[in-house]
Amino acid sequence: MNGAGWLFLFSVLLSAVLLFTMVFFIIMFSDLECDYINPIDLCTQLNRFVIPEYIAHGFLALIFLLSGQFMALALNLPLVAYNIRKVMAGGHVYDATEIFRTLPQHKKESFIKLGFYLLSFFYYLYRMIVALISESE
Amino acid sequence: MSSQELPPGWEAQWHAEHQRYLFIEVETGQTQWEPPTQAYGDPESQGQHPPEGDLLSPGTPSHPAHAPKKRQYAAGQSQAYYGTPEPSYGDFGGGAAGGGYYGGGAPGPGPAGGAGGGFFTPGLAGEQQGFQQQQQQAPYYGQQPPAQPSPSGAGGAGWYGANPSYPSNPLAGPPGQETYGAAAPGAGYGQPGVGALADQFSQMGMGGQKPFALYTTNLLQTPPDPLDLMKPPPEIRLPPGASATNSPYANADPSYTRCTLNAIPTTSSLLSKCKVPLALVITPHRSVPSTATNADGEPLAGVDPADEPVPIITDQVIPRCRRCRAYINPYVIFIDGGSRWKCIMCNVSNEVPAEYDWDRTTNTQIDRWSRPELNRSVVEFVAPTEYMVRPPQPPVYVFLLDVSPAAVQSGMLATATRTILENLSRIPNTDGRTKVAVIGFDAALYFFSLTAPANPAAPSAAQDEGEDGENAEPQPPQEEPEPEINMMVVSDLDDVYLPRPNDLLVNLSESRKPLESLLERINDMFASAIGGIPPGMQGAPQGPSAMGPALQAGYKMISPIGGKLIVLSASLPTLGAGTLKDRDDPKLFGTTKESNLLQPAVPFYKTFAIDCSRSQVSVDMFLFSSGYQDIATLSGLPRYTAGQTYFYPAFNAARSEDAIKFAHEFGEVLASPIGLEAVIRVRASRGLRMTSFNGNFFVRSTDLLSLASVPVDQTYTMEVVIEENLSVPFVVFQTGVLHTSCFGERRIRVVTIALPTTSSISEMYASVDQVALATVLCQRAVERSISHKLEDARDAVTNKLIDIMTAYRSSMTAGGAGAASQLAIADNMKMLPVLMLGLLKNTGIRASSTIPSDLRAYAQALLTSLPPQMVIPYIHPNFYSLVDMAPEAGTVGEHGIIMPMPLPLTSERLVRHGLFLIEDGQSMFLWIGRDAVPQLVQDVFGVERYDLLQSGKITLPLLDNDFNQRINAIIAKTREMRRGPYWPHLYLVKEDGEPALRQWALSMLIQDRSDQTPSYQQYLALLRDKVNGSGY
Repeated sequence: MNGAGWLFLFSVLLSAVLLFTMVFFIIMFSDLECDYINPIDLCTQLNRFVIPEYIAHGFLALIFLLSGQFMALALNLPLVAYNIRKVMAGGHVYDATEIFRTLPQHKKESFIKLGFYLLSFFYYLYRMIVALISESE
Repeated sequence: MSSQELPPGWEAQWHAEHQRYLFIEVETGQTQWEPPTQAYGDPESQGQHPPEGDLLSPGTPSHPAHAPKKRQYAAGQSQAYYGTPEPSYGDFGGGAAGGGYYGGGAPGPGPAGGAGGGFFTPGLAGEQQGFQQQQQQAPYYGQQPPAQPSPSGAGGAGWYGANPSYPSNPLAGPPGQETYGAAAPGAGYGQPGVGALADQFSQMGMGGQKPFALYTTNLLQTPPDPLDLMKPPPEIRLPPGASATNSPYANADPSYTRCTLNAIPTTSSLLSKCKVPLALVITPHRSVPSTATNADGEPLAGVDPADEPVPIITDQVIPRCRRCRAYINPYVIFIDGGSRWKCIMCNVSNEVPAEYDWDRTTNTQIDRWSRPELNRSVVEFVAPTEYMVRPPQPPVYVFLLDVSPAAVQSGMLATATRTILENLSRIPNTDGRTKVAVIGFDAALYFFSLTAPANPAAPSAAQDEGEDGENAEPQPPQEEPEPEINMMVVSDLDDVYLPRPNDLLVNLSESRKPLESLLERINDMFASAIGGIPPGMQGAPQGPSAMGPALQAGYKMISPIGGKLIVLSASLPTLGAGTLKDRDDPKLFGTTKESNLLQPAVPFYKTFAIDCSRSQVSVDMFLFSSGYQDIATLSGLPRYTAGQTYFYPAFNAARSEDAIKFAHEFGEVLASPIGLEAVIRVRASRGLRMTSFNGNFFVRSTDLLSLASVPVDQTYTMEVVIEENLSVPFVVFQTGVLHTSCFGERRIRVVTIALPTTSSISEMYASVDQVALATVLCQRAVERSISHKLEDARDAVTNKLIDIMTAYRSSMTAGGAGAASQLAIADNMKMLPVLMLGLLKNTGIRASSTIPSDLRAYAQALLTSLPPQMVIPYIHPNFYSLVDMAPEAGTVGEHGIIMPMPLPLTSERLVRHGLFLIEDGQSMFLWIGRDAVPQLVQDVFGVERYDLLQSGKITLPLLDNDFNQRINAIIAKTREMRRGPYWPHLYLVKEDGEPALRQWALSMLIQDRSDQTPSYQQYLALLRDKVNGSGY
């Protein structure tokens, strides 16, 4: 297996992890709506994952940049920019006092991210297979 | 139900066809389905005309349990009888609020007497539902034309007639102009002839038969009349027999709960069509006067039934619906011969608890229909142990006192300690469990060990454990008779610890002596440390302040119990956790970046608030800084812990007015009977759901509000969504407040309100409660100004108004020629534009580049927490002319001091020789014209000439002349009439005096144009253009 194959294998795994993180977020939000969890616990739990998620995604973009996969990089840049902006404004932390007011937004965001990770998962898978095929030829 | 429960003379017979008991009164042969009640009268009065004397004499209630109810009833009655004019504007808060109950009490006597002849009309004979119901239904459904008004009936009508301009009688009077027209001011003061009365009377009856009458007002031709704001909300017209007992108190008084729409649309599309937000405004813990008499010794019970203490139910079992968990209320339906009840919210039938008709304390049979929870909309259940997670905790107060030079020099510390000292016996402490601690902070934390003097009879456990050697300080000798105070200084602010485990937080009763001596000495301790500058001098530098660590220490001290932290600070927190920077930047004022200044600067106060809320700790902030104090950030802490922020800008105790204001408000806060460890949940009939809650609390789950303490007179609003179409004739909203009272009892306060449903959009418009709507829009605007921008908030207010008017125009008025020159709105909403203009001009929202962000943040905190009777004057001040007020204004009338007529808020009304009072509940301005005659100046101020007057904060002297005393009375009344703790400052404004003060006073005249905001006429023109432009 060549570099590109390994790279995309890694990104497939990482995006699967991100995918599950989002699923976890969404489950937590619906738990909150059904009153299975209180907002304080929810926020402390979720806030633990926010920055790691951003870092993981940023790292993915970074290795695409370093390995010269500009197409994959271009796909990821908007989300990286969005995340950076959010951290700068301090809006990335889930606020227990406001959570019920902002819950619809958070859910929407999580769903969009879920969709994005899902698509990128298949894209990386495709690129991995392409890389493997080109290698075996 | 067995026959021996029945009052004498009644018999129960099983009716096979209807499967229920039929009740027969043997003597008269009268039959009815409902069990006969003893609640409202003696059995002999049940079927017959009530003997006049019986109802009029409050002294002979046959059932002592109902003495208060009877008393009121009689008071209302005697009023009706004598036709005493109600002093209308005399009592904005109490009077207007009380209207609801008046309406309940008053219609009874008049119509019942008047309709006496037709009491058993044939059509109704089969459906006799007991005396009380008849009494209630007679007036507003108008089923019996009053043929021969008896004297009592005439008296009743006379009372309505005598009601100047706005009868506070939502139940009996037809809504809208008809009544107000009929009872125009002036017309009422004399006793009209019987013929005229009968006319009015029948008119009222007819008004009831009609569907909700909607009157359209053209705003362009109708100047706003401030009296409209004091009208009660539109009548709530429930279908006949909606409540089980037909008690006049079955629906909550507007001072407890009000809804923006008093008729709920059946579908959500109808609601979105009318554009009026459906929201509830609840004040579950409104204050009630502690005694039946006020300060003047007048009985209050006769004045305002809403002010009555909430009835307390001590049953072991609290009947609740097993499905929706609603509490039993006046609207449940008893089925199966009274052995089951059907929940009105979800229609599930529930068992009536055993012994429901049995009084355990006296071991006697009681009449179910006299039970308070079936008669009153506001009741308090004593909660059994299943409602407790722990035994009721004692009230705990921890005072965090700023002892920095700034606090000492402004006199804040001295005033605060003196106030605490004076109010120690007013702090709720009925069972002697209340705990108190004092922590001082400046650059370090100061703890005070308040060991009670050695008392061999009762050695306190705290003392024994306190000697475990952890503290470096020497113990006071046990024999010392004079209490000695140990002060411990903790200067490690990063990791706050309590220097002693036990004797910092002490029992108020046991350690009263050391506490008193501490409070007497604390100011001197810190004053001597700074020396030099005499107290009262301004300009002391803001020293370092470790407020954050002090909060953490206080939290650590009381978090196992919960309670109240009361912070008194005169400086910006600059040390340890929660450090804030002076981020006030006048360059940002009036720009789009201004809302950043209104957002919290650091997350500490929010995360700390969450910790507090978890441990049931509530924080009150009293802030005194002369410089920037970042109220926007600090107020977050009271906001999420259900406390309140109080702000005294540039406090200086050397001015007695400042000291009095603070001492009064602080004292009231200390004395108020708070609830602890509370949760609030609002339940509603099926198909309705509560969303987006606003107010000072923490939302713990989708519909559960958690309050570490429930302060009195604080309002919460919530929006209601209609999730499925409503098919019931009326819906019920029920607020349950589970709290621990400060008397050591777990209690549930239940407030129930029933509102009819409607599918007619005109009925919806006719039942809009503009006061509730304005309250809700205030909260929305503030929320938006923080999350978005101030400008967005202002636009949102105007856009909402335009939406409502456009919707009204398209659905209610015929278009066509001349429509463009109109601006139509329902008569009961006609004050909405001026209220919204007031909101746009309020300090919290106004477009201006000169408002410091502290003032803005404080105004916003007020806008989101004040109850309606205070928030309305706050956005729409009251304006009185004192020189030409009515002769009876300022004198004591039937309902306390009579207030002058409020004027429209425009400076056209100011005259150069006049004396005016402008007040918004937070400050008062006495505006005096430059040509004021010396006699006036002499009479009012005791000063010879106008030039000798000093503008600024004043205390009006008490002089020995009638005019001065009347003005003093009006000012005193203004200060107390809205309940809350606030004690507004009185400023003297001279027409040619200090420009800033003059500007401030004039900015309250909201109908005028001021620098960046339009006048009322301009605002209407803008609305008209938008409404007509977007129509069709």
